[in-house]
Amino acid sequence: MAETLKLLQFGDSVFPVGAFSFSSGLEMAVEHGVVHDRTTLQDYVRTVTRLAATGDGVALLAGHRAAGAGDLDRIRRADEAVYLRKINEEMRTMSVRMGRKLAEAATRIVGETLLKKRLSESAGGVPVTYPVALGVVFADLGVPEEDAFAAHQYGAASTVLSAAIRLMRVDHLDAQSILFAVNEKVTDDYRDVRTADLDDMQTFGPHLDVLAAAHQHVHVRMFMS
Amino acid sequence: MITLDSARELEPYQDQPAQLPAASNGKVGILRLGFERRGERTILHDLYRQSPLLVQRALYWDEEMPQLPCVMILTTSGGVLQGDRLHLDVDLAPGSQAHLVTQAATKIQEMDANYGSQIQRFTLAEDTYLEYLPEPTIPYRGSRFVTDTEVRLPESATMLYGEILQPGRKYYRDGELFAYDLFSSCLRAERPDGRRLFVEKFVAAPGRFPVARLGVLDRFHIFGNVVLLTSAERAARVFERTATPVWDEQTPLASAVSRLPNDAGLMFKVLGQETEPVRAAVRAFCVAAREEVTGRTFPPTFSWR
Repeated sequence: MAETLKLLQFGDSVFPVGAFSFSSGLEMAVEHGVVHDRTTLQDYVRTVTRLAATGDGVALLAGHRAAGAGDLDRIRRADEAVYLRKINEEMRTMSVRMGRKLAEAATRIVGETLLKKRLSESAGGVPVTYPVALGVVFADLGVPEEDAFAAHQYGAASTVLSAAIRLMRVDHLDAQSILFAVNEKVTDDYRDVRTADLDDMQTFGPHLDVLAAAHQHVHVRMFMS
Repeated sequence: MITLDSARELEPYQDQPAQLPAASNGKVGILRLGFERRGERTILHDLYRQSPLLVQRALYWDEEMPQLPCVMILTTSGGVLQGDRLHLDVDLAPGSQAHLVTQAATKIQEMDANYGSQIQRFTLAEDTYLEYLPEPTIPYRGSRFVTDTEVRLPESATMLYGEILQPGRKYYRDGELFAYDLFSSCLRAERPDGRRLFVEKFVAAPGRFPVARLGVLDRFHIFGNVVLLTSAERAARVFERTATPVWDEQTPLASAVSRLPNDAGLMFKVLGQETEPVRAAVRAFCVAAREEVTGRTFPPTFSWR
């Protein structure tokens, strides 16, 4: 029960890492009418979670396993792998800012962890990134890797959905139904990526990439991505 | 020789073709190109080739940059066949420049066993300039293709690399859209001292996760991806000229530019329904890049290509 409570706390969408200020490209997708109803929103969220699984999700598992082995070098390599693959600067900002906030919060709440060491050595070097930090925190807290992966996937979906409630005509119940449906895919995604290593991290979302890159040029924005 | 045979995404495709076995004689294409500055011009001083890849000689057809050697890469087998293993190794000595193109679209032929692979290595010395703008890639039904590209360059060097990916033979018979099994492409850049700049790895496997869906390619068929690796200061000038995103519902066309991590340069992505508008957008970005980096523009497009 103790691990479940830790999973609920650190995986919660209100955990103060600043997820609420990002939309993962949804703001631009809504502006262009690409996402305009429940169906298109669900499709969008599912693409986001699939790419999160095959990209950041692999790094989360690497971070979790490295923390389990107490290997700070491997944690740093996972952070670097994430950072090098954030082609878009807003996505880069999101990963680094949320990573730092999670590391700071975990240090304050939990105390001495590998994440604290990683944070203190990151100045001027490889930044702490969110997926890796999440994997490390959960390993430190004794939460198994598949649950850590699930929390990461849940977070990717809930970030977009909480932005959706503020950006378009969907209510909380619609958002929860979509979240419930998309969560059904987490087990399959985990099965697909659990044997992948950092070199296998992959993406294929040119449409999302174009939306993400266009976002920074919008003058009035609610979200940072 | 390095191979991609152990790539994770190739696990389902390790069977042998009924024809010549994979990587046998005639299926390992090798091109090694070395460029060097001679006076005002750059020459192709080193050329090693093994079919199915072929280069004849450097030509100087670029009227805006008459000192620029233009090299056309040919294939003697009409595309990439199952079991093909292609290698391209390009080296630019200090102060040299080069322009590489392919003769025709890269046709990744239909496959019923194994896969085709391509390994590309670009090594650029100080103050070099390389353009690599191949014709579009067309992955046919059932094809499996893995390509791995590594670029090593110092801050003073520039590489402009643009590719266009087609959905298949769009106008062949009833139309062939995303019927390929696997298209995997990895691009890495690093400094000569080994400091890594960025990595982009695409894996499109439409049978595993559809690509004609929101967020992946949506309603678009043609994907253009151009990377400009150059100094931060030159990248900033190109960004200034090209950053305005395009969202054109009529054509349709969507494009935007991102600034790469570690001041590696820029990446331009464009999506369209047909090849020509995408090609025009890629060209416009390349014109801005060449002008800002070299002070010269591109000559008009060949009217017969």
